[in-house]
Amino acid sequence: MDMVLVLVLLPIIAALLLGLFPYQRLQYIISGVALALLSIVAFSLYTSLSDFTFHLPHNLNILIIAADVVLLLFFLYQGRKFNNIKVMVLAVAQLLLYGYIEMVAPAAGSAEIIVDELSKFMFLIINGVGGVIVLYAVKYMEGESASPFKKRLFVGALLVFLSVMNLIVCANSILLFFFLFEMTTLASYLLIAFRGDEISRENALKALWMNQIGGVVILVGALVAIIGFDTVMFDTLLESSGGVLMLSVALLSMAALVKGASLPFEGWLLGAMVAPTPVSAMLHSATMVKIAPYLILKLSPVLVATMVGGVISLIGALVFVAASYLALSRSVLKEILGYSTVALLGLMMALAAIGTQESIAIAMVLVLFHALSKALLFLSAGVLEKQYHCKNIEEMKGMVNRDPKTVGFILFGFVSLTLPPFGLFMGKLFAITSVASLLSEHPAYLIVLLALIIGSTLLVLLYFKVASALLSAQSDVVQSEKMPIPTGFNIPLVVLSFFIVAGAVGYIMMQQNIFVILLAFPMLFVFALPSIIRGMERYDRTIPYQCGEKSSFDSALVYYAPSIKIQRAMYWGFGILFVAVALVGAMT
Amino acid sequence: MILVWIALAPLLGGLLYGAERMLRARMQRRQGPPLLQPFYDMFKLLDKRTLIIHAPHALLALAHFAVLWFSIAAIFLGWNLLYIIFLHLFAQILLILAGYSVRSPYSHIGSNRELLMVVAYEPVLILVAVGLYLVSGSFEISEILKTGGYLMQLPLLFAALLMIVPIKVKKSPFDIGEAHQEIVGGIEVEYSGVFYEFLYMSRFLEYLFIYSFVYLFGGESHWVGAVLVAGVFLLVNLVDNATARVRPAQMVKIIYTVAMALAVLNLAGVLL
Repeated sequence: MDMVLVLVLLPIIAALLLGLFPYQRLQYIISGVALALLSIVAFSLYTSLSDFTFHLPHNLNILIIAADVVLLLFFLYQGRKFNNIKVMVLAVAQLLLYGYIEMVAPAAGSAEIIVDELSKFMFLIINGVGGVIVLYAVKYMEGESASPFKKRLFVGALLVFLSVMNLIVCANSILLFFFLFEMTTLASYLLIAFRGDEISRENALKALWMNQIGGVVILVGALVAIIGFDTVMFDTLLESSGGVLMLSVALLSMAALVKGASLPFEGWLLGAMVAPTPVSAMLHSATMVKIAPYLILKLSPVLVATMVGGVISLIGALVFVAASYLALSRSVLKEILGYSTVALLGLMMALAAIGTQESIAIAMVLVLFHALSKALLFLSAGVLEKQYHCKNIEEMKGMVNRDPKTVGFILFGFVSLTLPPFGLFMGKLFAITSVASLLSEHPAYLIVLLALIIGSTLLVLLYFKVASALLSAQSDVVQSEKMPIPTGFNIPLVVLSFFIVAGAVGYIMMQQNIFVILLAFPMLFVFALPSIIRGMERYDRTIPYQCGEKSSFDSALVYYAPSIKIQRAMYWGFGILFVAVALVGAMT
Repeated sequence: MILVWIALAPLLGGLLYGAERMLRARMQRRQGPPLLQPFYDMFKLLDKRTLIIHAPHALLALAHFAVLWFSIAAIFLGWNLLYIIFLHLFAQILLILAGYSVRSPYSHIGSNRELLMVVAYEPVLILVAVGLYLVSGSFEISEILKTGGYLMQLPLLFAALLMIVPIKVKKSPFDIGEAHQEIVGGIEVEYSGVFYEFLYMSRFLEYLFIYSFVYLFGGESHWVGAVLVAGVFLLVNLVDNATARVRPAQMVKIIYTVAMALAVLNLAGVLL
């Protein structure tokens, strides 16, 4: 239990320290120490076997209720201040629902906090990846045009956010979960609006009202649980059966779809890309959006082999394809990464909702390795943005000449998402095997399988299309100057790459299958090739063939976009499917 | 024994390629080159001066060939079909990266097309693997070859596979990767001498790769497998002589609508 307290309190203490001491070097030390401590604690928790339960004292519960009301009032105030009707209406709806629920909620139940296997696994991701991102953020904020205090506030906010995340993954009370869910919404709102310009403000409000929908469905789900089973605890709810159980679970799953930015809600996550890069990496890729697959994983014991579970896997699978496809029309690197995050979250939710033991394990693997790879990619994108002011892949053509190292990290990120023997690839591979083995029992999963196959292929197209812009080096004849990456950026990138490799090695070893280990052989060979084959100097150099033209010309990047009509049909389709989750839940 | 076959794989593929050139010539009532012409070409290439753009570009061709050979070895050893498909994908990605790594428009367009080819055939290949799994109960080639009757149960899936064979061996109507009138040599244009040799030999291996999938449909009977390969070989070359090249986007569209529909229909039929 102490260790869980450390995970929750240490980030807050670190944030306070950061606020107190304005020295740059001390900031690195504090965030570095926080990263080290948090990952060690998370790792030792992960390896420990026992589960913990914890009752919150009554006073604390009252404090949380008060904080919740203040939070909702703050949303209402923001809605009024910026004259956004959606935010205001949703805030009022939440306030009314929340007030009513607190009146009828049963006073006692099982423990409010339960740390189980899943929570420990999430701790590992949140603290390992999140810690690295905080370290990176210190360097990143140096170049930002904001007051020093605001910069420290920013890094502090990221740290506090870590402790919120640590708490949300062990919340057993739906109301506590709701409070923390709204806290992440608040973090998202404030951090997207950090730069304070008009676009940031607009996108922040969009993120706010969309996530508030998630809050509303959680509250309705909690209300249903109270009416049906007289409980607000996840564990009691999941153990009960019959009645309105499916409706309650369906409503809670809908919150996951919103938080995971599944279509038609992907707009908020795309808009969130205007925020400083550490925010995109932390909230909108590595940790916060992982609440979505986490929640589905938590609910999976009930979802398995039900209509609701089926509909959610269907949505997840279709989102995987649709978001991968939509990403092909984008040219801003962070938006491309955002869409691919939406896609992969869809896949994770689809696998989690299938709910067999195997598919749950695969979904967890995807959550872990996606967090690592996407954090690496976002942070690398941030380096290019800070060092060269490039956001658009069109401006990044030939970037390999100017910054070979960062491009190397990005390529490594892409490779780790698509090729053997890295974790995410392995997850997809086992997912195909696993879904295929379920086909004879549930032929309907053929759609999930098809989506899995096509979506993976589209992502290959997407990533290597981006790679084509980054590569395209000049021939050796032309020398170009190189710029080193600052150490403050380099260390987090190296640490993440190390995590990816170590994770892949660990995961391969866990399989205890000689063939899986052999899958790693080609990758090793390719990486070792430059040291095996030496003396490339003996070959004469030439310049690329230009068909006799004197001036060199570039080939353009390829974009694919659906027509407006198809796009609209797609959004309507996903909207209907989203509502269908609740309807199916109500009917079963 | 099996190791010898693996070592000889490029030779086998070379013979297949030579046989194909003979067959095409006969179909066009030409004399055509001798069976061993691919190997004569290789010796000729070795004599040429090697010019490279930059070292990683040259090494990627070697890596592509090596990984492709590894995936062929995995086929001969009877591994999991999915692993083989993804090892092959890895090899293709190396080639694509090679094409992108030079600032040459032809090389870039060649890579773009190669990527589109992957997008087109990859899902069908995986669906073929899933189809074979559903009938035989295993993804392992060694297990798949122990039972039979795939052709009876998976006729439409076999038709889908037939549609992607021309993509892999770069034959009309899907020879977009080798459209020299449009993209000169594509990815190959920037290679010469010994490094081109590797790309030339990977082509042999590609033949082995895709025809192994055809062979699998024969199941336990080697004869059925051999007849299937011979039949498909003939058919692909016949179609090559009789059709014109489609545009890249059309190719993806055709495969995604027709071939995928066939594959999915067949799988649904097996399941229901």
